[in-house]
Amino acid sequence: MKSNKIIEEVLNEIEKHEGVMSRRDAMKFLAASPLAASVIAGTVASTPAHASSSAKGKIVIVGGGLAGVATAAKLTHKLSNPDITIIEPNTKSVSYQPGQTLIAGGVWQKSDIEYETEKFIPKGVTWIKESVVSFDPKNNKLKTSGGQEISYDYLVVATGLALDFAAIKGLEGVITSYGPNEVVRQKVGKNGVYSMYFADGAVDTYKGIQELIAKAKEHKGTEKLQALFTDPATPIKCGGAPKKIMYLMHDRLVKAGVRDKVELLFCPSGDKMFGVPEYHTAILEQFKQRDFKWEYKTNLVAIDTDKKVATFEKKWLEKGEFDEDLKEYTMISMSKEVEKKYDFIHITPPQKAPDVVGKSPLGSSKGWVPVVQETLQHVSFKNIFALGDVAAVPMGKTGGSARKQYNVVADNLVAIMEKQSQLPSKFDGYTVCPLITSIGTVMLAEFNWTAKPTPSFPLDPTQERWIWWLLKVYALKPMTVYGMLSGRA
Amino acid sequence: MKKITFTLLSIATMALLTGCGDKPKSDIVTYKYTPAEVYTATCAHCHGDKGEGMPSKKGPAIDKKTIPELEMDLFDIKNGGVGQSTATEHDVMEHNMKKLKEKGYEYDVKAMANYIYNTFNRAK
Ligand SMILES: Cc1cc2nc3c(=O)[nH]c(=O)nc-3n(C[C@H](O)[C@H](O)[C@H](O)COP(=O)(O)OP(=O)(O)OC[C@H]3O[C@@H](n4cnc5c(N)ncnc54)[C@H](O)[C@@H]3O)c2cc1C
Ligand code: HEC
Repeated sequence: MKSNKIIEEVLNEIEKHEGVMSRRDAMKFLAASPLAASVIAGTVASTPAHASSSAKGKIVIVGGGLAGVATAAKLTHKLSNPDITIIEPNTKSVSYQPGQTLIAGGVWQKSDIEYETEKFIPKGVTWIKESVVSFDPKNNKLKTSGGQEISYDYLVVATGLALDFAAIKGLEGVITSYGPNEVVRQKVGKNGVYSMYFADGAVDTYKGIQELIAKAKEHKGTEKLQALFTDPATPIKCGGAPKKIMYLMHDRLVKAGVRDKVELLFCPSGDKMFGVPEYHTAILEQFKQRDFKWEYKTNLVAIDTDKKVATFEKKWLEKGEFDEDLKEYTMISMSKEVEKKYDFIHITPPQKAPDVVGKSPLGSSKGWVPVVQETLQHVSFKNIFALGDVAAVPMGKTGGSARKQYNVVADNLVAIMEKQSQLPSKFDGYTVCPLITSIGTVMLAEFNWTAKPTPSFPLDPTQERWIWWLLKVYALKPMTVYGMLSGRA
Repeated sequence: MKKITFTLLSIATMALLTGCGDKPKSDIVTYKYTPAEVYTATCAHCHGDKGEGMPSKKGPAIDKKTIPELEMDLFDIKNGGVGQSTATEHDVMEHNMKKLKEKGYEYDVKAMANYIYNTFNRAK
């Protein structure tokens, strides 16, 4: 896929959502604003495609989501005789999950994010439409749901993660964004309980926002309606999403003229808004401006969907005895459960590696596949790599990280195939979080393991800007779907 | 028109890629003590001289962890969580680390993870 194809797609996107700006205006805007242009063009800068390696070997990629397909594509560019198999049960596995936020906010439809896997499996790559049920890394073998035993020389694990609703007492189901979800939907997606972490759930969430608005319009009395937003005590994909949905809700309530009837309360398990101090401060300011409330170290553990009561575990530290050697008080971790009534609750479910992976010899005590963080090579098995949401790297778990990681995995895997002693490519922890702060503005938070802002553009990264909204709504999807999935950007 | 736009885009890309592609060089941090010095002076106190753990101080054993596991733990401890608003798994240790930092006992996560692994785990 060439860069101009991606630009073309960007323009198509703009055309689809006229109202905001017409295709002609967009082109004028791009022509007049080198910065806007560079934002889009910079992100589609393509790498030259020449097969540089004649190394041989059978590569199996488990999981054909964003990370798996991009890795396969990149490998087909690099190898002159690629032998690659992708195992992925879902026929829409490459659908654009970051768009779920926009669906929940009523900006997009589900059809805007759906993509057929078939169209993105690179030429020459074999696709097995099954899931892997067990791994035997000592013998370089695995088994599939259809009963096939498949052996490999090299394995890439890109299964993404599982949404563990069942970990919340009162809910059931462990699902993925695009897989079957009936069990979860028995209780989530109705009666004020919503979650945009899966695609159908995102559609429901927008309905939930409409319901709350209707309820607020009827609402009398001094006590405000309660809208709660949770953020669990596990690593999650897209760390910004639990807050993004809050901003979108706020915006919808303001537009409907009922913001004063509803209290918006953020209940994260942690004790800050963001691991990067600059972004933390910026977000806190945005929260105050919008009159959002927040309670740190308040983690959702149970919910009674009939009574509309959510139970949170609240944690704090208490001073213990004085430690003479260290000249400090020791601390004791305390916790208690508190109940909160809600009229609306957005649940960001606890997340974990799929058990098939996490509890296999490939996993770790915490499930996530343990890799050397820079090279993404498995700690114990040198012919195995992991990337995307399933890999045990700090922060990560965004499409933005996967976009850097797949190049690293492809380079290093080819090096292993060529029996090189050094792995050439290193991941630096880059993540990007386009934090939607309203319909029309985004704060583009880019950072890496140094926990410092690492902006790609010469603009103050802590500001909410319209230009990033354009990037998020019009450019990132074509960039991802046509640039990344073809292994070019 | 489309051609012109595209040309402009390309020029902008070139400018961008050459303009700010370089990493800032100011990120290099120097530490007062080596990981070994920090460990002996502080960590050993609660995790034991060999990382074997110290029940009386509630410090768990850290001599069986791999380098990436230690890196994850230490990242979590120093950053107060591995995500954005996600809780740390080590709230007591996070507090301890803040105090140790105030006293100058800082370290690089990678260097400390390597030190702990090479000195206590691999040696066994
Ligand atoms: C609401 C929401 C908002 C988001 N917002 C953003 C954002 O703004 N920016 C951003 O960069 N990222 C965002 N993300 C995150 C981004 O979508 C993910 O990080 C990205 O999709 C990860 O890619 P992956 O390939 O690791 O996993 P996935 O894309 O989830 O793919 C994993 C695939 O593996 C398959 N699989 C699982 N188990 C097996 C098995 N046993 N055998 C075979 N196949 C298996 C699954 O079917 C799935 O298709 C968001 C995600 C959500 C849910
Ligand atoms: C005052 C006692 C104390 C000191 C000093 C101390 N620790 Fe800890 N550490 C603890 C306790 C208690 C825990 C377990 C509770 C927690 O994680 O919050 C812990 C947890 C840890 C863990 C996580 C272990 C696991 O299994 O999850 C690591 C890693 C660690 N400490 C490393 C260090 C290092 C490195 C130092 C020195 C810089 C250090 N600690 C100094 C008390 C201490």
